[in-house]
Amino acid sequence: MDYPAYVTDTAYRYDGSFQGFLCCVFESFARHELPAAIHPPEEGQTSLFGAREIPTDPRRAGRVAAALHRLGTPVERCVTSGFLADEAGKDLTLLHFLRLCFAQGPSAFWRMGDAPVAQAQALARRVDGEAGKYIEFLRFEEHGGMLGSIIHPRNRILPLLRGHFCSRLPDEEFVIFDATHGMALLCRGGRVQYLRMERFAPPPDGEEDAWKRLWQRFFHALTIEERRNERCQRTHAPKRYWQDMCEMAPEGRGQKSTTHPAEDMV
Amino acid sequence: MDLAEKLEILADSAKYDVACTSSGVERPGRAGRLGSCRAPGICHSFTPDGRCVSLLKVLLSNVCSYDCSYCVNRRSNDRPRASFTPRELAELTIGFYRRNYIEGLFLSSAVAGSPDATMERMIEALRILRQEYRFNGYIHAKTIPGADPLLVEQLGLLADRLSVNIELPSEASLVRLAPDKGRTAILRPMGQIARRSAHSRQELTVYRHAKAFAPAGQSTQMIIGATPESDRQILRLTEALYQKYALKRVFYSAYLPVVQDPRLPALTTRPPLLREHRLYQADWLLRYYHFSAEELLSDEQPNFDPYLDPKCSWALNHPEYFPVEVNTAPGPMLLRVPGIGPKSARRILAARRGQHLGLAELKRIGVVLKRAQYFITCGGRALTRSTRREIAGALVDPKAFGVGVQQLSLDDFCAKPLPDAAPALHRLAASGVEARQAAELTRQEAITWITRRM
Repeated sequence: MDYPAYVTDTAYRYDGSFQGFLCCVFESFARHELPAAIHPPEEGQTSLFGAREIPTDPRRAGRVAAALHRLGTPVERCVTSGFLADEAGKDLTLLHFLRLCFAQGPSAFWRMGDAPVAQAQALARRVDGEAGKYIEFLRFEEHGGMLGSIIHPRNRILPLLRGHFCSRLPDEEFVIFDATHGMALLCRGGRVQYLRMERFAPPPDGEEDAWKRLWQRFFHALTIEERRNERCQRTHAPKRYWQDMCEMAPEGRGQKSTTHPAEDMV
Repeated sequence: MDLAEKLEILADSAKYDVACTSSGVERPGRAGRLGSCRAPGICHSFTPDGRCVSLLKVLLSNVCSYDCSYCVNRRSNDRPRASFTPRELAELTIGFYRRNYIEGLFLSSAVAGSPDATMERMIEALRILRQEYRFNGYIHAKTIPGADPLLVEQLGLLADRLSVNIELPSEASLVRLAPDKGRTAILRPMGQIARRSAHSRQELTVYRHAKAFAPAGQSTQMIIGATPESDRQILRLTEALYQKYALKRVFYSAYLPVVQDPRLPALTTRPPLLREHRLYQADWLLRYYHFSAEELLSDEQPNFDPYLDPKCSWALNHPEYFPVEVNTAPGPMLLRVPGIGPKSARRILAARRGQHLGLAELKRIGVVLKRAQYFITCGGRALTRSTRREIAGALVDPKAFGVGVQQLSLDDFCAKPLPDAAPALHRLAASGVEARQAAELTRQEAITWITRRM
């Protein structure tokens, strides 16, 4: 089905929630128009375009959500993952993609040669990719029986970490703190909560440091010097993740000499 | 000896084992248990040598009664020895796993006493993990050659993946270098695991609660470069292992000289890392690209070209298959185009159902055209016009000419050939030519040679 739309110079401004975004999609269809930009509240205060506030209406959002669901899992996943991106312009990318999908049906997802599809999928891939890296690289510390972790992701990936860690640690309580966005994922007694949090700084703990040192020592023992290839290491574990990986910490690199007091005496 | 010291010694002893994958089994977590498994596997860290750390890879003990000449842990080598108690190891695994350091345990052991006694201790460690700690994560266990089949059976019921190391690519080499391990001692458990694993999969389709035996299959590894076998022999052996024993992976390990021995390469020999890389590339071609060993190497060319990856090399030898039309070619043919892998091929097949593919569409799809552009057409039109020399320049593998600064000490800023660069580059650099200049010389020579081949 064809949905004609006029390119306008109006920008949409919404409250930043997924429901709010779905209302922007509704507005775009209802008015037969393509906005020049879509701004969540934290960006684009100064803009060339006249802005229109799009109120968040759960009823409208529900209708779009149901339609989105009918477009099939790949499209739905792509939009929900892509929405978690923390990039300017992601909303407009997703709107263009969604308009194409509504016009052409679920198979539009596979027409990856079209620019809107390619852009939306690349967006979703960046977010999913980062979530995948944090599933690998985040490190927990135990404090009073509870596991805690601090991460610094570019995108709001906490919802993508939930399934994996809840399945993996069904009987544990844990909290994952996203320091970039001030959000935390708290899993306690089989219930999951997302919390706004300013900071998360558990007290240092002797036993926890011992575990870290043990892990660092293992990590250094594994390296084969004759095969040293740091570029390969950085390809797989880019440096921006290193701040969250305790074995990559600079003091960890010099660990070998400090943990061998006995050897020095011999 | 404290736990940290033991861990360091036993990890150091295990580090030459290649397999550190956690793939092949999908098992969601369950209440009352700790852990889950993901089919593609998860890497948790990468060491400065670029290898992934997925599992807690340690030996249960490195006190060995065998004397295999290529091995660091052989009886006659003077190095620190240590052993974990099964319970220590289980506690360590759980502690690391909860902190998301590792994906599970990779347990191997030196032959302490007899193979059977060693296996019993390994089984005890796994039993404590699985039953007392209710560990649901990944376990890779190595069977000890010569152990009783009943023990292999028990181990397989506790572990996700089993492996038997084939160690060397031919029986003659095995007799020469590892007199304690026989060919049958290696192949018999491999056959047993393959049969038992197939049987267990069959049972699982009928009975939901049947016990899974090594659900992630088995793997093996061999040492490359310690013995004189050609790439062709190695690749044919690999293919036979995949077909006959249904192996999931065959790993290669470039031989690192660890001991002076007249039967082995000299201590100054560099590990043949580029050769190892080529073998892995060919191994991928066998498993994901529908190639056979005979197609890749022949009697006239028994070894891989150091400057071209195996697929490019095959494509240059078979110009009759090209160019391939992306809009109509069948999937398997797309996979034979250098530069197009399973992911790109899948995307092309899906996308072309709904649209015509031109150059712009291919780029948006994410197909890397650096090499592929010379082998494909879009709607009957070639994508580029280039001279043979330009094509050869795009096809050579930059890895073979890698030069970089790798700081081993603080005052070391001198560019050197990277460890996995071509042997010719290493020789040239060793003879006193500046590294970058040497790389350029080698590259030009390789391009000239490839141009002549086309």
